[in-house]
Amino acid sequence: MVQVEAIAVDDDGIRFRTGADDVVDVCFDGRRVWSFWLLRDSVAHGTERLVSWPSQLTRFLHGTARLSLVAHVSGVTLYDETVRLGNGEGGIKVEDEQGRPLALDKSNRISLTFETRTPEQVAPLLDAVQEVLDALREAGVQAFPAYGTLLGAVRDGALIGHDNDADLGYVSEHSHPVDAIRESFALQRFLGERGYDTQRYSGIAFKVDVIEADGSRRGLDVFGGFIAPAVGGRPATLYLMGEVGAPFEKEWIFPLGTTTLEGRTLPAPARPEKLLEAMYGPGWKVPDPAFKFETPRSVVRRLDGWFRGIRVHRNDWDRRFSTLRNTLPTDAPSDLAQYVVDQEGVPAQLVDLGAGRAGDALWFARQGSSVTALDFVPWASAAAQRVARAEGLDLRFGSVNLHSYRSWLAEGSRLAHVPGPRTILCRHLVDAGTAVSRDATWRLCEMALREGGRLYLEFLAGEPRPRTRTELLSPVPVADVVAGLEGRGAVIVHREDRQERTAPDKPGRPVARLVAEWRR
Amino acid sequence: MARAVGGPLVDDLSRRIAELEAEVQESRQLNVRVAELVDLVQELMLPLASQDRERIEAALAKFERSL
Repeated sequence: MVQVEAIAVDDDGIRFRTGADDVVDVCFDGRRVWSFWLLRDSVAHGTERLVSWPSQLTRFLHGTARLSLVAHVSGVTLYDETVRLGNGEGGIKVEDEQGRPLALDKSNRISLTFETRTPEQVAPLLDAVQEVLDALREAGVQAFPAYGTLLGAVRDGALIGHDNDADLGYVSEHSHPVDAIRESFALQRFLGERGYDTQRYSGIAFKVDVIEADGSRRGLDVFGGFIAPAVGGRPATLYLMGEVGAPFEKEWIFPLGTTTLEGRTLPAPARPEKLLEAMYGPGWKVPDPAFKFETPRSVVRRLDGWFRGIRVHRNDWDRRFSTLRNTLPTDAPSDLAQYVVDQEGVPAQLVDLGAGRAGDALWFARQGSSVTALDFVPWASAAAQRVARAEGLDLRFGSVNLHSYRSWLAEGSRLAHVPGPRTILCRHLVDAGTAVSRDATWRLCEMALREGGRLYLEFLAGEPRPRTRTELLSPVPVADVVAGLEGRGAVIVHREDRQERTAPDKPGRPVARLVAEWRR
Repeated sequence: MARAVGGPLVDDLSRRIAELEAEVQESRQLNVRVAELVDLVQELMLPLASQDRERIEAALAKFERSL
């Protein structure tokens, strides 16, 4: 058994001395909220080691609680004391606003893990697992529980307590990434037609939303895979989004067998242990609530290259808008919107590309423009959408993803089919994106302006600097933007360097303003 | 050690490996692009070729819901 000594708990984290690694559960008042590896996740501090509190947990750590440390596999209690942390007076409660218990999963995301859920509470998820598996079978693939869900089923016949979602997987009959991606598109379409809300993660994986009995929204991830045939000395290899690339035989999947999960019989690979080993390594039978994938670089590069790249920066923007979505922006019209009106009056048709919370779009609609507000986070404009509906404005909100050809080409086609010239407002989109999304922007604008009109751009100008989680815009050299536009046939009719004020007490930021048109 | 012995040759090979890796990724990225274009053509080409605005809008709305 692993020896752990001199354990002390304070606001920084947990200090201890040990010579060996083991996975340990951190429990408050007897309930697991986090797990860590003694050596892997700690740093040396003199003769002792310190594992810091994960940032996702610190906001809860104010008050007192009985804190125990329990070796996860052996169940041996290493520490059990009442501790006082932070500056609160009451008991430490790791709960959401509704008082539901939260815990950290293996990726240190805070969530409602299964260990605190009653059978009645997880029943709808299991219903959904069965339902979606059936629907996928009808759509033409033989899916099964995958990753943690398969692991729990095969190891214990149950959902894993420290897990928080259900994963499904399937192995395509196709052997080329293009065909596997097209199949995944078709599956998502099929499920959408059945009434499921879905969200695509990559070319071969998407999420199906399920609403549980208590109103919680849970995601079911559907991961596609395929077996690449043997080439030269390389054996046939299974690639399964998002972590698997391993020599594999088709007979280890097909024909599917069965497994039991929480008393329900579900399909499973013919040899589930082979797939679990490919997912979690030979130690898959030993529970590890702090498991970290060590996917080989070559597999990550293949999965990245083949399938990823259509959700670039999306999570950052989701996070940015999550707290703002229900408040109406108060800074409209922007300087750029006012400039448009100064130049050409209120346009008959206006497209706000990268509308965000849609303050400008709403303002233009109120001035009488027929407005289309486009963004890849469609719910960012929830407040403006409500107002537009209430006021009966001519304002359409649409979702467009400039990293997905299907998305921007479809929107470009729609705009091109509506006759008449239009104005495109494009404020802080160029500096929020990538070279790929900028090229898509120029093409989309070219389609939308085929009957005339102008593109008004404003973006942070200057030398690019790395984006951070809080600073999501990165300056773009004006010359690059001009070259991109001219490369797509645009003519720059106005160019101006400006300072943009974000707050009265802050210095202005250098921005570039460009106006472009396509002459035919 | 290798650099001390190989000098410019090692630098040149490192640079060429990095270039090759970038080129391999560029090729791999064609997969999603080709699949997206085939899907788009398959789902939208016929409705968009019609001159019927309602049919076009219905096809676009249905397609975009599936993205």
